Amino acid sequence: MSNKEKENKIKSDSPAKVHDFCSKKKMILGILIGVVIALIIGIVLRGVNFAIEFKGGTEITYDYTGDIDSGKVESIVNGIVNTHVTVRTGSNLDTGGKQLTVSFTSEEGLNADRQQELTDSLIAEYPESQIVLFDSNDVSPSSGREFLLKCLVAIIFAAIVIIIYIAIRFKRIGGWSAGVCSVLALLHDLIVAFTVSVLCGFEFNSNIVAVILTILGYSINNTIVIYDRVRENRKLMPKASLNELINASCTQSLTRSIRTSLTTGGTMLVITIVVLVSGYTSLLSFSVPLLAGLISGTYSSLFVAPVAWSWWKNRQDSK
Amino acid sequence: MKKISKSTFFIVVCLIALFSVSSAIGLDYLYGDNTTTVIKGVDDIRLGIDIKGGVDVTFAPADDYDATETQVDAATETIKTRLSSLGINDNEVYSDYKSDRIIVRFPWQAGESNFDPGAAVKELGEMAELTFRKGTDSIEDEEGNPVPTGEIVLNGEDIAEAGYTEQPNDYGDLQWVVTLSLNANGKEKFASATGELAGTDTPISIWMDNTMISAPSVNSAITDGNAVITGNFTSESAKQLADQINSGALPFKMVTSSFKTISPTMGEGSLDAILLAALISFVLIAIYMVVLYRIPGFVAVIALCGQIAGSIAAVTGWFGFMPGATLTIPGIAGIILSVGMGVDANIITGERIKEELRSGKSLDSAIKVAYKRAFSAILDGNVTNVLIAIILMGAFGVPSSFFSKILNKTVFFMFGATTEGVVYSFGFTLLAGVICNFIFGVFTSRLMVTSLSKFSSLKNRKLYGGDIK
Repeated sequence: MSNKEKENKIKSDSPAKVHDFCSKKKMILGILIGVVIALIIGIVLRGVNFAIEFKGGTEITYDYTGDIDSGKVESIVNGIVNTHVTVRTGSNLDTGGKQLTVSFTSEEGLNADRQQELTDSLIAEYPESQIVLFDSNDVSPSSGREFLLKCLVAIIFAAIVIIIYIAIRFKRIGGWSAGVCSVLALLHDLIVAFTVSVLCGFEFNSNIVAVILTILGYSINNTIVIYDRVRENRKLMPKASLNELINASCTQSLTRSIRTSLTTGGTMLVITIVVLVSGYTSLLSFSVPLLAGLISGTYSSLFVAPVAWSWWKNRQDSK
Repeated sequence: MKKISKSTFFIVVCLIALFSVSSAIGLDYLYGDNTTTVIKGVDDIRLGIDIKGGVDVTFAPADDYDATETQVDAATETIKTRLSSLGINDNEVYSDYKSDRIIVRFPWQAGESNFDPGAAVKELGEMAELTFRKGTDSIEDEEGNPVPTGEIVLNGEDIAEAGYTEQPNDYGDLQWVVTLSLNANGKEKFASATGELAGTDTPISIWMDNTMISAPSVNSAITDGNAVITGNFTSESAKQLADQINSGALPFKMVTSSFKTISPTMGEGSLDAILLAALISFVLIAIYMVVLYRIPGFVAVIALCGQIAGSIAAVTGWFGFMPGATLTIPGIAGIILSVGMGVDANIITGERIKEELRSGKSLDSAIKVAYKRAFSAILDGNVTNVLIAIILMGAFGVPSSFFSKILNKTVFFMFGATTEGVVYSFGFTLLAGVICNFIFGVFTSRLMVTSLSKFSSLKNRKLYGGDIK
């Protein structure tokens, strides 16, 4: 096959038209700026709600019956822990019974002895109310910070390993820059998921850690599928410019990208709906940011990673 | 694998069906009154405490006391003994020497209405009261627990250190023994007690709280404060007894640095919700795949069944060579991600078959080329996920596991062990799912599609998404 025939073959392979992905720089920047602005507004208006796994502190929930004065509970607990105490009342999803949540942050955390003391004094105050421990979570601030830091190090380390892997596997098409750009796309998706999470007012808890990890895997996988196509097309059309290659590859992968994100995004949508219907809204902080991250992952693998990469390579060449 | 015939399809389908059914239902048989589980099914899955409810607590020495390895071992042993005396046999205990942390996890004791996790944890953290007593006499308290009554010979404060070693017995064979050295105070008390009991039938019993951990008989009076306990010890049981004795002499108290209890009613509902959602999604994806890709889509659905079964099998411990794991909600997220990547692998291949057919290739060569070309993308995408999974398992796994040993000494050297089971569980199911993806999403689906394409009735290119030639 001559080169010309090969190029014709590429054209006949692809759906009639090759879309120009590389010319969308302004749109990509615009979207990124929009997301960042939304994130800033979200942080200003809602603040970032770290769960106690990360910031440390104590949260104890009790089941109870009858009436309880939350102000009084607050003063009882305050008397034991000597720090600012928040008391919320709510209802148990399964039994429909009443619940009482006590939360506070103290520098040394709450050890089991003091938790027992706390429970006992509440029971003593309200002997009729059948106060039963529902759940409790106590993390000392130092181990909370350490966990957060360890998560960050794990993610950064994973990103470095991915860049090295892509650099090796995609050496033919300029691996290092491709690797770094795939991580840029990943960062973009994480910002989107985080923004959605902040805007919805979700707590930053271990569900978010699962979301970040899932997006980490999904986003990189998506980007690699595109790179793989570029790598293959490079063999078929050795003379084409990088922009032509990227445009052809993204166009060829477009159907697959949309269809795959329909299945994964659809799954998250189903989970969100089921969770909303059944009332287990604690899972919403998992499914909604993940849905956003998956949509963003499809978009960023087609636009952010390849376009940033072409920009980088073209600048390098022009030097 | 040179020849893929028509029958290949049926063989592969049968194998996948057999695998799926056995990993879902499990296999056990009743022999007498004992049920022996040969293969663990879905019912045997260990659910994490975020689903089932339970207690997750991390102990550390109070006032930032820097404990030695021996002391951490001793404290761990105390906690284990406490757990079994509380009747909590289904538990996990991990210790980390670097941060001096001991992590304990156990499920909420189902059916015990008066189970108080707070009180249980409080009891676990207290250090044991170690006593050496004359004789093994005990009485039962109101709840039927034994309470030792023998005269106290020694207590924890009298002990300098216990250890374990191998030394020859009377016949010259090496055997494991527990060594005991006492401080000045203990030496005198022990000398008089052993002098009295030497040669008699009355042993000296060793108690940890109200549990008798050993009752050696006294062969001769021990006056130098160094005793040796012999018996049929293995290295493990000798170490255990030494640790238990050391725990009586610990100079610190264990306090909880983090402590989480989750009631059993909380998680189950969310598990049901997520399972329902998974079922609906699977049906929708199945319809979608068959409509879009016809035969490759149909094959993809069979392969997905196999892949899901593979993930379940990994969690239950179906594969004999690797232990099962605990399934948590992030673990389910890991399964969803890997199944999503399995669907993606099938979509990539399905699209490729269409493309190759459109470019005018024959059906046989289109299928062959499509699987070959799709593989490099699937390989790289999945390998990066394997890397991610390994990093997560290493960073957040139990201190003794393989990946942790490597990573915690290098990348995460500055952190203590956090067995954040939640993240580990994600890594585990992701790793298992990605491996299944290679087996089912790539290998078996290629066998099945190729085999089906041999049937003359299924040679229509339209069934593979191509245009009619």
